[in-house]
Amino acid sequence: IALPSNLLLPSNLIDPSRTKRSRPPPDCPLPVLRRCDAAVPSHLRPVRSWVESLQDQEGEPLGLAELHPDVFAAPPRIDILQEVELWQRNYKRIRHANTKVRSEVRGGGRKPWRQKGGGRARHGSIRSPIWRGGGVCHGPRGPSSYYYMLPMKVRVMGLKVALSSKMGQDYLHIVDSLDIPTPDPQYLLDLIRHRYWGESVLLVDVAEELPENILRATESLKTVNIIPAIGLNVHSMLKHEALVLTLDAVRFLEEKLLWHDERHTPLYPFKLPYSDFP
Amino acid sequence: MSVLGGLLRAGATFCQSAGTLLQTARTISTGVCCQIRMHAIPQPKKVDRWTEKSSMFGVYDNIGILGDFKAHPKDLIIAPCWLKGFRGNELQRLIRKKKMVGDRMMTLDRHNLEKRIRFLYRRLNRYGKHR
Repeated sequence: IALPSNLLLPSNLIDPSRTKRSRPPPDCPLPVLRRCDAAVPSHLRPVRSWVESLQDQEGEPLGLAELHPDVFAAPPRIDILQEVELWQRNYKRIRHANTKVRSEVRGGGRKPWRQKGGGRARHGSIRSPIWRGGGVCHGPRGPSSYYYMLPMKVRVMGLKVALSSKMGQDYLHIVDSLDIPTPDPQYLLDLIRHRYWGESVLLVDVAEELPENILRATESLKTVNIIPAIGLNVHSMLKHEALVLTLDAVRFLEEKLLWHDERHTPLYPFKLPYSDFP
Repeated sequence: MSVLGGLLRAGATFCQSAGTLLQTARTISTGVCCQIRMHAIPQPKKVDRWTEKSSMFGVYDNIGILGDFKAHPKDLIIAPCWLKGFRGNELQRLIRKKKMVGDRMMTLDRHNLEKRIRFLYRRLNRYGKHR
């Protein structure tokens, strides 16, 4: 797409240190470690990415991996990203602000002075909203919730768009497995700084029991966090600059996210048993 | 008021009658504005964006789609039991509270709850345009 000739862009948009290694070319001597399991639509090509390893600090990529374009090259729908992010922020929100109404404030049952003859304004109770110390008319009432659910396909699409944005902006890295030689947090920080991954990294793995070394290394670090693949979500992806997936995590995510493209609409909630869906 | 002074100054420069009017323009304030007085601009408060809570926010929100639908994100909400996965206006919330928690509430709270439900029912269903 041609840009207009009189366009003035600020010079600090692209970080020059991050442009050193680009996407792998189609003809490359390294082996393709993973092909797409699901059928790729015929008008799209699989997205290729380097597969690296965390063992040596300055290791070269081990090979290539092909990623499904529907998941990792989805159209960049920022409006869906915003909807999903707002949903994540608000559906858990409980507002505990509470005020007492005039009937709930202690006291105020008796008429303070008689209706006529006092010379003062007429009043029925000391706790009416006009009075100091009286109840609030239309204040916040009790713990209230902001719960709502977006359609399942919108949430799935949000995940796909987030993954594709990370892929498209070169913030996605694929690793064969999260094994580290030492449980030292400084090793991870040096690795990340050497490879120019960014300030904050989110590590995603499928296994329920993660290797001890990396758990101990990320425990003390604030900006490097590790989560199981079930816990992947748009807010964490947007908060952390770089995303690191293992090959198993990629397979798991593709399987889960592509299933929604070709499923029937549920007759009853999916948590109840279906005959053809585990 | 400073507004008057500003207008006078603007009027003077426009009319080009210079010196005399500007020198005689005095600002008056009735003491209504400028009620906040500070010696210096306050420092912005320092918020740590990478605490445990904020870096792990939102994890497991897609436990349904990615986890075989065994759990639903509404099971993750930390809330009073009558508000977990429920949204409604005040009357609906109070009725649900009475149904779920009513028999173990304190007497005064229960009495206030019932009074409020009665009042809201009458207000919403009998008066006004939307009944």
